[in-house]
Amino acid sequence: MAGSTTRNRLTLPQQYLFLQKSKTVAGEGVLGPRRLEWHFHAQPTPLSRTYQVTLVLERDGTPDVRVVDPDLRLLAGERDLPHIYHDPDRLCLYLPGTGQWDASKRLDLTIIPWTHLWLIYFEEWLATDEWKGGGKHPGEDDPNEGNRALRRSLQRQR
Amino acid sequence: MNQIFSHPLTDTAIQRRAQVFTILEEICQELEWTQTQFEKARTSYEAVADWLAGSSDPMLASLHVYLHGSGALGTSIKPIGRDEFDVDLISFILGLGPEIAPALLKAAIGKRLREHAYYASILEEKKRCWRLNYAGDFHLDISPTIANPNCMNGGELVPDRKLRDWHATNPRAYRTLFDERAALVPQMTQSIIAAQRDAATTEPFPVRQSVKGILRRTVQLLKRHRDLEFLHVQEEIAPISIIITTLAMRSYEMCVRRHVFADELQVLIDTIRLMPVFIERPLVNGRQIYAVWNETTEGENFAERWNEEPARVEAFYKWHSKALADFESLRDLVGLDAIVGSMKDSLGDKLVARTMNRRMDALNEGRKTGALVLGAGVGLTTQKSAASTPVPRNEFFGD
Repeated sequence: MAGSTTRNRLTLPQQYLFLQKSKTVAGEGVLGPRRLEWHFHAQPTPLSRTYQVTLVLERDGTPDVRVVDPDLRLLAGERDLPHIYHDPDRLCLYLPGTGQWDASKRLDLTIIPWTHLWLIYFEEWLATDEWKGGGKHPGEDDPNEGNRALRRSLQRQR
Repeated sequence: MNQIFSHPLTDTAIQRRAQVFTILEEICQELEWTQTQFEKARTSYEAVADWLAGSSDPMLASLHVYLHGSGALGTSIKPIGRDEFDVDLISFILGLGPEIAPALLKAAIGKRLREHAYYASILEEKKRCWRLNYAGDFHLDISPTIANPNCMNGGELVPDRKLRDWHATNPRAYRTLFDERAALVPQMTQSIIAAQRDAATTEPFPVRQSVKGILRRTVQLLKRHRDLEFLHVQEEIAPISIIITTLAMRSYEMCVRRHVFADELQVLIDTIRLMPVFIERPLVNGRQIYAVWNETTEGENFAERWNEEPARVEAFYKWHSKALADFESLRDLVGLDAIVGSMKDSLGDKLVARTMNRRMDALNEGRKTGALVLGAGVGLTTQKSAASTPVPRNEFFGD
């Protein structure tokens, strides 16, 4: 299993190329030997704000998604942001260790649509205080066996 | 107001405004009778009509019962905090002249209704009409009318508020006029702008054609806005529905005949803006009065009471400016939270929450079934286009 993931692992230049060719969301970025940085605008629905987002992927790492503008904390006011990794604030878009995202998955087909999805629920949360997008919180123990992998990758993320 | 001469809207603005109108449309659907409620009301009023027609009272020998008011116009809305609808019926009695006393005719209708054990048990006497209370569902208000011999337009006469005299009215012709105006289709510039877009990268967001037409939606939204605005006002000063409906239909006709619009939302806003134009100030017996005329008969002034109770005049203008400002701000707001917040303030928390929950349910359903895509220039949608990416399954994580 681990072997096949390694074999299908996409390199940073491959990911970069897919992002550049995306018909769905235009953006621009910087590709270095160990780091890919991609800047794009996300407007999840016509009613939503347009968010300026930066996606960073380091070699052998997991993608970091930050909303640069507008300031999510400012929009949230006193409230704690939902589904966020802290210091700095990054969006929690998938359950680590479940294969929803791994290095064989294209960023333009996973992380980017999920960023839009996160933002739509975020604006809805701003309006209602309810996160309607579902998901899990750390510590919510899952009786199934994927849990160990999850905790392991949690330690990496935080 | 003629959008052709202002800056063309960006694609983003066109889509946003279309979505705002779609939500308003969905809000109106939330406010309406369900098909079941409608069928129930119809069965009931047809039964009442049959019962009245079977009267042995020679005064009621020939009568015709029909639906009027918002039920007939298609502009009904649920009252706030109650699930009961008003259903207004006219019991048009043929073969009687204005020499008959209004009170006598009203009493004859009441007597016939009391002859029916069930109707007797739910009957309530109102100033000008009889009410049958179908608790939890609706109430039927039955007003007697007779032919108006002085009206060239097939008008009728209805008892006045004091039951002393007859008052000109013409519900059937009013309904015909309203239907004609509601059927007018505004001319939009949006098609012109859409044609200029690069078809390869932009898939126009689907704009749902308003099912009932913009005029009916405008009236429903304004009535809802009025209901909320005057919810805690003790005095009886809220603008009455017939005034809102009449001003809106006249304004809508003028707007649609004279102007080209960016979109449906702009039609709604401009219709609201121009409503006061149709409040007339004629001189009557040396006094300048307020008049909102019923165009379908002579002498029915829907704003009659404004002339005795000036608080109603002030209440109308204040409410009207607020309604205009509220719908204008909806047009210009960005951010789902900002738009939802503004709608909640002007149309009601629970109503807007119910409507938005349906939308979120539809989104989550699309996520579950895999129908949700990210489309170029439109964001998340279930409408597939050439440049769209399916949204794969995920679970959000983190604090």
